[in-house]
Amino acid sequence: MDDNKQNRTVIEAEIPMGTVHPAALEPYRLRLFVEDEIVRDAEITVGVNHRGVERIMEGLPVEKANSLTEKICGICSNSHIWNSCRTGEIALGIEVPERATYIRIIMEELERLHSHLLYLAHGSEVLGHETFSMRLFYIRETVMDLLGMIGGNRVQYGSAVLGGVRPRCELDEMRLQKITEGMDLLEEKITAFADRFVSDPMVMSRITGVGVISQKDALRLACSGPTLRATGVARDLRREMEEYDPFEFDVITQDDGDVKSQLLMRVFENFEAIKIIRQAVRDLPDGPITNRSWEMQDTPLTKSYIEVPRGTLYHSYALEDGRVRNCVIRTPSMANIGAMQHACIGHHITDAQLSVVQCDPCFTCTDRAIEIIKL
Amino acid sequence: MDLIYSLIAVIGTLVVAFIVSLFLPGIERKFIHARIQQRVGPPITSPGIMAPLKFFFKQTITPESPMPRLYNALPLISLIIVVILLLFLIPQMYFVGALASVIALVGFLKVEEIMYMFMGSLSRSVLSVRMPFPDKAKGAAHPETPQSFFEELSSLRAFRLIAFGSFPLYIAIFVAVAMTGSIYLQDIIAYQQVHGPILFTVAGVMGAIVFFIGYMILLNEYPFAILKGKPDVVEGPYLEYAAKYRAYVYITRGFLMFTLATLFATLFLGIAPNILNPSFIITLIVALLFPMLMAVLSAFSPIFTYKQFYPTVAGVSIIGVLAIVAALL
Repeated sequence: MDDNKQNRTVIEAEIPMGTVHPAALEPYRLRLFVEDEIVRDAEITVGVNHRGVERIMEGLPVEKANSLTEKICGICSNSHIWNSCRTGEIALGIEVPERATYIRIIMEELERLHSHLLYLAHGSEVLGHETFSMRLFYIRETVMDLLGMIGGNRVQYGSAVLGGVRPRCELDEMRLQKITEGMDLLEEKITAFADRFVSDPMVMSRITGVGVISQKDALRLACSGPTLRATGVARDLRREMEEYDPFEFDVITQDDGDVKSQLLMRVFENFEAIKIIRQAVRDLPDGPITNRSWEMQDTPLTKSYIEVPRGTLYHSYALEDGRVRNCVIRTPSMANIGAMQHACIGHHITDAQLSVVQCDPCFTCTDRAIEIIKL
Repeated sequence: MDLIYSLIAVIGTLVVAFIVSLFLPGIERKFIHARIQQRVGPPITSPGIMAPLKFFFKQTITPESPMPRLYNALPLISLIIVVILLLFLIPQMYFVGALASVIALVGFLKVEEIMYMFMGSLSRSVLSVRMPFPDKAKGAAHPETPQSFFEELSSLRAFRLIAFGSFPLYIAIFVAVAMTGSIYLQDIIAYQQVHGPILFTVAGVMGAIVFFIGYMILLNEYPFAILKGKPDVVEGPYLEYAAKYRAYVYITRGFLMFTLATLFATLFLGIAPNILNPSFIITLIVALLFPMLMAVLSAFSPIFTYKQFYPTVAGVSIIGVLAIVAALL
């Protein structure tokens, strides 16, 4: 019997939240087992939004399959297409031009910025602070405009292709200038927000010591990304990715593992993302942005892990006649679900959604496997 | 002649109060709140006038409730109670004696609070229906646990609101009693006509702050929205109301905002609501000012859990008690 089962107490009542609930952006089922409004146990069930992307990808030409991965998530769409292309590139031994890698990094870090700002806005909304939420969405608009300028769309940019980035995403002087100006503006706005945020006693009293995930629990529950780093573990996969070698940035950590740490974690990570984008813009090498000199061949199952805004993203597939076989995708929220459940326990029911949201869930793109139950 | 004058005063005041109260939710939620959040927001008439109008013409459904008729009747009863409350604040009604006293007002407000409890305990919303399949995923931690409804949760919270949450409002009401030495509204107003408004005393200022916090708690506005917090109980007691019953809920809220502001003007400024008295304009200003202040405070606040709610109520209540002590001195 595991620790969790041993510690389970007699439960007074269950409060089910979902599958559809106004505080949740996506459909998922949160069962809260409460005693006098204090959560004694929690259970998250996903599977409502399963779209069978891997099943659809099965047998598709690799380029088509890659662009399909972008549809998995409306927030980290670039992360998916990048990792999917990266998997193919590792399998086929394609060398990506340096300029293309830099552009991919810019796109990815812009995506990290907009994802973190969305997280902070959503967190503020669940906290009940609508004004913070609205202001953060305004701040995020700067990033969305830049992503739209580069990729042609504000959500599905489709920048990465096998061997580089598509020609639409080439960065000329005018675009680089706009990115630089955007970063200046963002830095100023995020700094102002951070100052206001940490100096608000009501907000701080509401988030300090709530939804605590200890470092030990975070490791036991195999958390990834900022959720893990907010508990003090300095693990950032970008440090292990060769694409990030030329860039200097700090791995941000927080110590307490509570909602405050999780929120501050993302605030400070934004500054690191801005730092990386500035370096990429400044040192952007000349040269082609796509390598077309490669040949399709059959490959064994190949894996790729990258650090995306929410944590570690995994893609793997084999190639057979240029078509994708045995595709598996694992999104970061899958790793963090255990932490989300754990964070609710011992806190007030009003804090439950906040405890879930603090781990930056994206259940819609986590819905990768289903079990069909016969009624 | 006196009777006609009184009738015009009473009916006219109620009509003006009703008209003004329709605009208050718009001023609060959309006009001020939206401006703070740098968004346009819908027209000022939307939440108070257009929404109830729309709901009056919607198809009525039978709510999931053990007693649907009683459940549906509660918003109307609630509205009637608030109207009665305002009625006894009008000077022409002071002849009813004990009903135009602070004790009666407290009683009516308590009944108004109890309505939330009834609404919660009589509702079973679709949000709380058990899933039609066994909870197999993750081994179902507690598959046979009795399920609680969101409205039950809000009902329990309404009980807490009655038990201690509305303390500040009632304590603030008794600041006027302590200062004037009478529970009758007539005497409280008469005292202020001689000695000036209670608001401009130390006890009055403290009482006004306490009253305002109590006003926000009773109206369930952020950060004190324990009955309808978005992260858990959503709309709480109101969740199942549809069509005209929802319209009554909207109208009642606006009317309660006006009535509580009128109560403040009566107890702290010594101005009773009477349309035939020019000082009625001050009552209207107070009625407009309160939602504005409430919108500002709620726009910059997170939602409170009991961890913040208890100390706030306790702290504000202590200030209220100090105000009463200061009033007695």
